[in-house]
Amino acid sequence: MSKRLGLVIDQERCIGCEACTVACRLENQATAPWIRVETMHASQKDTPEGRFPELSMTFLPHVCQHCDRPPCVDACPALALSKREDGPVVLDREACDGCQTCISACPYDAIRVSSDGLLVEKCTLCLHRIDQGLIPFCALCCEGQAILFGDLNDPRSDAGRFVANEPTYQLRPELGTGPSVYYGPPKKPRGL
Amino acid sequence: MSQTSGATVIRTVCPAHCGIDACGILAHVKDGRVVKVEPAEFPDPSYRRICLRGLSSLEITYHPDRLRHPLRRVGPRGEGRFERITWDQALDEIAEKFQKIAAEHGWSAVGWVLGGPGGGTTKFGAYLRLASLTQSTRVSTWGYGDAALPCGSRILFGTHTPYGLLAGSLRSGGAPLDLVVVWGTNPAESQPLNMMRRIMDARRQGARVVVIDPRFTVTASKADEYLGLKPGTDAALALGLLHVIFREGLEDRKFLERHTVGPYLVRTDTGRFLRGREAGLENADEYVVWDAVAQGPRSRRPGGPPELTGSYTVSGLACKTALQLLMDLAETYPPGRAAEITGISAETIARLAERIGRAERAAFVTHMGFTRTYHGDISLRGLGTVAAVAGQVTATFHGGHRPAVLNWKPFLQADPARPSYHRLGILQLYQAILSGRPFPIRAVWFSFINFLNQCVDSRKIAMEMFPKLDLIVDADLFMTPTARYADYLLPAASFLEFSDFVPHPHPYVQLQQKVIEPLHEARSDADIAAGLARRLGYREFFNGGEEGLIDLILDAKDPSLAGITREKLKQGPMALGAVPDLGSEQDVRFSTPSGKIEIYAESLAEAGQALPVYLPPLETPLEAEGKAYPLAFIQGHSRFRTHSMFANVASLLEMNPEPVVEISLEDAARRGIAEGDLVTVFNDRGRATLKARLTEGLRPGVVNITEGWWLEQFREGSVNHLTHDVINPVQEAVYEPNMHMNDVAVEVVRRGEVES
Repeated sequence: MSKRLGLVIDQERCIGCEACTVACRLENQATAPWIRVETMHASQKDTPEGRFPELSMTFLPHVCQHCDRPPCVDACPALALSKREDGPVVLDREACDGCQTCISACPYDAIRVSSDGLLVEKCTLCLHRIDQGLIPFCALCCEGQAILFGDLNDPRSDAGRFVANEPTYQLRPELGTGPSVYYGPPKKPRGL
Repeated sequence: MSQTSGATVIRTVCPAHCGIDACGILAHVKDGRVVKVEPAEFPDPSYRRICLRGLSSLEITYHPDRLRHPLRRVGPRGEGRFERITWDQALDEIAEKFQKIAAEHGWSAVGWVLGGPGGGTTKFGAYLRLASLTQSTRVSTWGYGDAALPCGSRILFGTHTPYGLLAGSLRSGGAPLDLVVVWGTNPAESQPLNMMRRIMDARRQGARVVVIDPRFTVTASKADEYLGLKPGTDAALALGLLHVIFREGLEDRKFLERHTVGPYLVRTDTGRFLRGREAGLENADEYVVWDAVAQGPRSRRPGGPPELTGSYTVSGLACKTALQLLMDLAETYPPGRAAEITGISAETIARLAERIGRAERAAFVTHMGFTRTYHGDISLRGLGTVAAVAGQVTATFHGGHRPAVLNWKPFLQADPARPSYHRLGILQLYQAILSGRPFPIRAVWFSFINFLNQCVDSRKIAMEMFPKLDLIVDADLFMTPTARYADYLLPAASFLEFSDFVPHPHPYVQLQQKVIEPLHEARSDADIAAGLARRLGYREFFNGGEEGLIDLILDAKDPSLAGITREKLKQGPMALGAVPDLGSEQDVRFSTPSGKIEIYAESLAEAGQALPVYLPPLETPLEAEGKAYPLAFIQGHSRFRTHSMFANVASLLEMNPEPVVEISLEDAARRGIAEGDLVTVFNDRGRATLKARLTEGLRPGVVNITEGWWLEQFREGSVNHLTHDVINPVQEAVYEPNMHMNDVAVEVVRRGEVES
């Protein structure tokens, strides 16, 4: 099977700390957050759903899904976005003219306008690291060890093993985009 | 590591005062500037880690607001007007003023208020060395909320902290745990790396996780069961649990006999342990037990099995075993009564007690938060007593790594021929300044502390304490709220700019290596202390600078540090000396008077606290009815800050821009408060005005503002304008009085609805 690099985000272990957001910015000199951590079903960040004390709180880090059929690639008039054979959706910043068509095309709200307003930017899956055999910086710095990287088709990789053995889901699968980011839903509390 | 092109990589340690993570850091330096930090490797890969604050540390070092050079106050204190002076001027003048104050009031009138050095040692030690040479006063900052846990732990276990005894099994491996009880702490935000990861690992391996906290924290969101108790009622919960454990016969009798004072006889008239002499036994000073076979009193050792429970008369003296006294107390706390006090249902208390009592292996995770109440020391003892009665305290030793025994002596008493410094707790500093008791303090030196911001009753500090002082010196990186009141303000180095020895994370020790020269005119704390020492005539004690001090502290000639040198540490972390597994269970001798876990402490009999009794909180309103201040105010910790550090970091502020008071929907509705409204939290001492955050995530009747925000980040006041400086005399006698910042009553109204 061909290589399909991607991420698993295990919500059971995500503590919503946003170290991924900070790490990504530092590593990639991102001018806008490429990873955003949402508190699910909450009116405000870091607040639970339910009624005290019957509560739950689940975090959902949003990031480029490195889709198998990425709408942003199709939409980009400058041909600045492309899907690499092994998985990552790559933005060529030299070719980008900042038209932001990709931003409207992305159903995951994963592409940002750079702080100078001239270009767009997004998660690269840390190509500069993974091509050296390293894991993405967010995965290295994840406090909860919730972000796993690897070849999703290879059950020997961290991400592939998780996908092969644990329940996972993708964001908005009905769109047919084929996200390469899988989420592990939190396990149900067992009570006392 | 990912090599930034053209960069050199230097290994150092983030010593931020977050606990004991002491994350190893690789700093990438390009053209003299640190361009990146990343988590460094350890022999055990699980220690490779970093948090969002560590990742933000370049924003501290290169912060545009760093203090750049020494400053001398020109306007009134607190106004924030300063003029630039040289280091020579600053240190000359400070030395001269110290000497003048000392000539008039004695050196004890000079107080060193040293906050959290984090994992650092010599940055702290340098000031202690100077304090000991001058015989001035070290103001211990354990009392900044962190003294009650040691108070309780010292009584029960004879150790300063109870972590290894209560939760050591989370680290040591072995058979999987079936239960993890997280009590009054939120490690998901305050100790994500060294603790929360392990809790999640244990849960993955099958452990049931229970979280006890007035707030539904991130940690609670990872639990199987959440118990949202009323703040300050932990000891009542513990007694309710003990009631059920005893009722169901789930106590671990073998453990109680072997490791606790449970079988020792206590005189019911005096509350003291019966001694051999009173029982007419040969061993006059020894504790006495009731021999189960001979049915008579005997010295605790040697001998056959003692009775664990019962009432006995010895030489005409009525006695009960210590365990019996505990059982008698627990008998009066059936789950229904504990439920009424704690707000946890009786059924839940009973089920948790059975889980604890029936667990093969349980761990209890706790920290300082729930002990920041007037009786927080007893709360900790209640928790620890539950663990001990269930036999879930790590009381045997199977080998492992030695703790780092450092050469502290030259810092605590630099000149062996002369006495060391005087000591005051930080909560005792208040009266020392205000009324000269137990002795007057006329000058304070603040280092790595934001006293005005972080300590109780900020109004009293600014309006009453500071005006009484002849001299205030502050060494810091920024113009903090405290710094504004300084007479001399000295720019301190960030952790990337100096070297120190860091004996964490166990079992490793590390070298915090200077990565770049201090920016601007900043100096390390060790340099600052040395500069002052020179002017006071103690030059020779600081020869060799930071490195000399590191070599000194490593020179302990203790087996734990054998072969560990500064040179070798440059290459990376080193493991402490191992103690071989001796092949059998070795008893831990507890450093209590009896050598056992003291579920009964005779020294507290007169205070009525020999057992972990439940005593109501000082201020926390357990019933709102008819109270002027019907809400319990607590201060959780935020992942965005370590106390008040990182409160000024732009990228963190983007994610968490301003303080909010968390209030339940129910309490907000009653007060007409909507999400985002500006509200004033107040009591007789002061007020804080800020936005309201409505949430179901905390118990109705409780409001929370995370601590650490700077004064100027509030519209008005701050968290510590609400807190009080009341001293608990038992804590003062046992160890050091603690600040009770989670035992505070307030009211909340929409802004403008409170008279000014």
